[in-house]
Order: sequence, then C-alpha cells, then structure tokens
Amino acid sequence: MNINLSRLSIIIRFEVERLFKTKRGLLALLAFATIWFIILYYFVGSASAIVSSPSFEGMAQQLFGTLGLTALLDWPVAEYAMYWLVAVYFFPSFALLVCSDQFCSDKHRGTLRFITLRATRAELIVGRYLGQLLIMAILILMTSIATTVLAIMRDLTLLAPSLQIGAKLTLELVIVAMPFIALMTLLNTLVNSARLAVVAATLIFALGPLSIAFINYQFGQSFYLNMLLPGEQISSILSQNNMATSQYILPLVQTLFLLIASHLMMKRASL
Amino acid sequence: MSLIIEVQQVTKKYGDKTALNKVEFSLEKGAPVALVGPNGAGKTTLFSLLCGYIQPSSGKINILGHTPGHSALFGRLAALPQDAQLDPRFSIAMQLNFYARLQGMSNKLAKRDTVRVLEMVALTDAANSRPSELSHGMRKRATIAQALLGSPEIVMLDEATAGLDPANAKEIRAIVTEQSNDVNFILSSHDLSELERLCDQVLYLENGHLKQHQTSGDDEKTRFITLRMKQEHPQIIAMILKMPGVSQVNMTQDREYLLTIMKEQDKANIEMSLLSLLQKNNWSYAQLINGKTLENQLF
Repeated sequence: MNINLSRLSIIIRFEVERLFKTKRGLLALLAFATIWFIILYYFVGSASAIVSSPSFEGMAQQLFGTLGLTALLDWPVAEYAMYWLVAVYFFPSFALLVCSDQFCSDKHRGTLRFITLRATRAELIVGRYLGQLLIMAILILMTSIATTVLAIMRDLTLLAPSLQIGAKLTLELVIVAMPFIALMTLLNTLVNSARLAVVAATLIFALGPLSIAFINYQFGQSFYLNMLLPGEQISSILSQNNMATSQYILPLVQTLFLLIASHLMMKRASL
Repeated sequence: MSLIIEVQQVTKKYGDKTALNKVEFSLEKGAPVALVGPNGAGKTTLFSLLCGYIQPSSGKINILGHTPGHSALFGRLAALPQDAQLDPRFSIAMQLNFYARLQGMSNKLAKRDTVRVLEMVALTDAANSRPSELSHGMRKRATIAQALLGSPEIVMLDEATAGLDPANAKEIRAIVTEQSNDVNFILSSHDLSELERLCDQVLYLENGHLKQHQTSGDDEKTRFITLRMKQEHPQIIAMILKMPGVSQVNMTQDREYLLTIMKEQDKANIEMSLLSLLQKNNWSYAQLINGKTLENQLF
C-alpha cells in the first residue's frame, strides 16, 4: 500500500469538513442531535431515575437480570447503563447510514478521476475510512459528554466516575462501529450509489445469519462463519461482564480484513 | 527531445469487445498533440489508460518514466476526463484548494493557485459557488481549471471545448497556445479546425487501431494548398490546372479545392500566381491554407 501521510491527513480533513461545512452534513447533524435529544431526555434520563429508585429496584433487577445485564446495575452512574444499551446498537446502525457514501457517488460522478490524479487509491480508501471513523468518534464523544452532563445534573459527585465510564464507553463504541464503517467502505467499491450500499448492507445483515445457519445445518458443523459479520461480538459485550480484550480483537480484525478487501477491489476497479 | 509518453502494444478489451488493439506510439516534449477519431474509436479509453483510471489488458504504458497512476506523476500529469464532474456539495474554490493541497501545495499557496486558475478560465466571480449553481459551460471551465493547477508537465484535455460558447472556447484555445511552451498538451476534440489550429501532431484512432501518426499532409515530392472559395466557379479547376507546378486539383467539398503541387516544379511562387488568377477573374476566395486541412488528411 502506497500511503503518504500528508495526503492522507488532507483527505481525512476534507471528509470532516463534508459533515460540518456542507448543508447536507449539517442537516444530518441536526437529525442526529434531535434523535439523541429524545434518547437522552426520555430514555437515559428517565430510565436512570427508575433504576436508582428503591421501589423499582427489584423490578429493574429482575428485568436486567433476565437479560444478563446485572453488571450494569452496579455502575455508579446509572445514566451510562442505559446509554450503553442504546448506543451499542444505535451507533453501528447509524454508521451504516452515515458512512454509506464514502466514495460511491464520487465514483459515479467521475470526481474520483480528479482525485486519483493526486492521491493513490489506497490513500483514498484509508483516508475516507478514517475520516468517517473520526466523524463517528466525534458524534459518539458528543453523546457521551451529554450523558455525563445529564448525570452531573442529577448528582454533581458523579462527575469523576462519569468521565471515567464515559471515556471507556466512547472508546468501546468506536471499536464496535469500526467494522460497520469498513463494511460500507467495501460496499462503496462495489456499488455506485449510497442507497444501493445501504440496501446491500441490509441484505447482508438480514440474509447473512440465515445463510450461515443454513450452511451450519447442511454440513452439521459450525465453520465460525458468523465471525465474518460485523457486530457479532455485541451480544457478548452487552452485559459488560468479564470484558476481555479478546472481545475487541474480532472487530479490529474484521475492520482490517474489510479494508484490505476494499483496497484490493479498488486497486482493480475502473474509474 | 525527451520522451514523455511511450505506449507499447497496448490492448484494452471490455469482455469480447476490443476497444484498443495493439496501439503503439511515443510522444516527445513539444507542441500540442491531437487525438482524433470517430465516436467509439477508443479515444476516451486511451485517455483513461494514460491517466491510470483503467488497466490495459496487455501492453505497457510509460509516462515520464512511470506507469500511469503512479504517485510520482501526481502534480506532473493533469487531465480533464470527459464527463467527470466536481462534487456538487462543495464550492469550486474549496475543491480546487483541496486538489492543490493534495498536489503538495501549502494552504496559502493552494489558495493563491486556485485564484490564478479561476482567473484563467474567467470564473473568479463564481469561486464560492457550488457546481450545481453554475451553467454547463461554467462547470466545464471549472474542471479545466483543476487541470491547470500547479505546474503540470502533461495536460490531457478530453473534449475540453465541447459545450462551451465560442468566446469561452476561444479563451480555452488561447490558454492552450499560451501554455504550450511549458506544458505538453494532448487534446481530443471533434472540432478538427480547432485541433488544426493548436496541434502539430495527430494521433488518429479508428476502431481501436492507431491509423496515423503524422504531423502534416506533405511528403518529400509533393505539397498541398487548400483553397476555399466564396462562390462556385465551374471553370476554376481547369484554370488552376494550367498553372505551372500544379499537378492535380480535387474538389474536396463544396467550393473547396485541394491543389497538389510538385515540389520540383515549384520554382515560381504558386500562392502568388493563384492569387493573381483569382484577382484577374474577379473571383473571391474565403480561405487559403498551406497544406491539407486536418479533415482532408484524415477522412
């Protein structure tokens, strides 16, 4: 892979500008802020009140216990327990939508022809991926900070533990989102529009598990094909019980695999 | 003279269809080169191969000592690919600035160069407009501006003046003429008179084959004069044929005549005699061209 760090940083910066300096980007940000205002105000805020209320403790214990999430109840900041449950599913799905047009419309429009006279295809793939990852990281960080604000509004002494849990969860959420963004990078090399990329991703997540179950059933043994699907580890990390480093190796390996596949596809692609 | 482009036995196939068949040529530093051919002849395919957008099925391409698409060519090879458009979401200046920075310019230099190229294509006032807010011609000029960023050694323009009004097309031709001492232009166009005006060398593609690679219609023994008349005069061919040195006169199209001159017998100044003949008969001419028109050379 031929990558020049200076050109890479220029591509990344331009990607971030795409979100914050274009009308479409700002509208997406507004939609995101609205959704998260609702989530934070009605779910995170209220749910944490329920969890911390002694009268509902028993019921919450039962509910969370059933889901295998009792470890979340031990968190000093209840807001973050609810935040984690929502965010761990929200951000991967959101990544599929927000990162659906990394370069497919540029490819369709011919804009990539101007760019590839000035940057390698590897720089383009990695630059656009890292740009999208940076955007997702900024958005995750913003929601995490908002959760901290909610928590300290309830109890100011929660500032220190909030910051600690917030930083940890931000990092974990970014890692969870990584293979989803990389999947969209790969799909962008194959299709010519963001809409098709989203449709393809939907089909992968709808038909993928079914196909894997069918293959396992037909051959009578597991081929660990489910490891290919981004988000496979989410159900095991959800409870935050026995969080092992190994549970974050899978998304990182998936990301690497998807980016290498994207690079190989792009290397041969006609622009 | 140094070689800037070398194409060896290049074939490009799309499935069963052969777009280019064993094309071979080399170009040296110098005057603009024209790439001509009918629709579907393989001009855009050749452009795309030279820019590294597509890979050849076989054969080798060498540009300034590197394979197309190599990072060593960034900033040295610029192009206006046919139908390629800028991103409609960003202003033109912002995109040109981005391209300039990718070419290795500092932010300050990139801004200055963006202003320079936009001035060249008369788009200074539209710098902060998005491509979607501009007319087709203005968008085209903006894409030409991106090809002029920095100081490229080779600039390939695919149908640069197609869709431009005459004034702007003239402006683009002036830019090519102005820059042609420092930049090696490769131009493709269906406007043969435009190419004739700008280029010394012609690459003619037909059905994926490179048919001709020549600079003029003249050869060792003969030279040509093209005469265009304002009106038709039935006896003109016979009269011109009587002139010493003129071996043949062909009517190439309506009111256009191609005179074949034997260089050995071209002692007298044929052009002067011809003008005298026209004056004597009170015949008005429209144009007198030294040599064959590009159209007559190719078709």
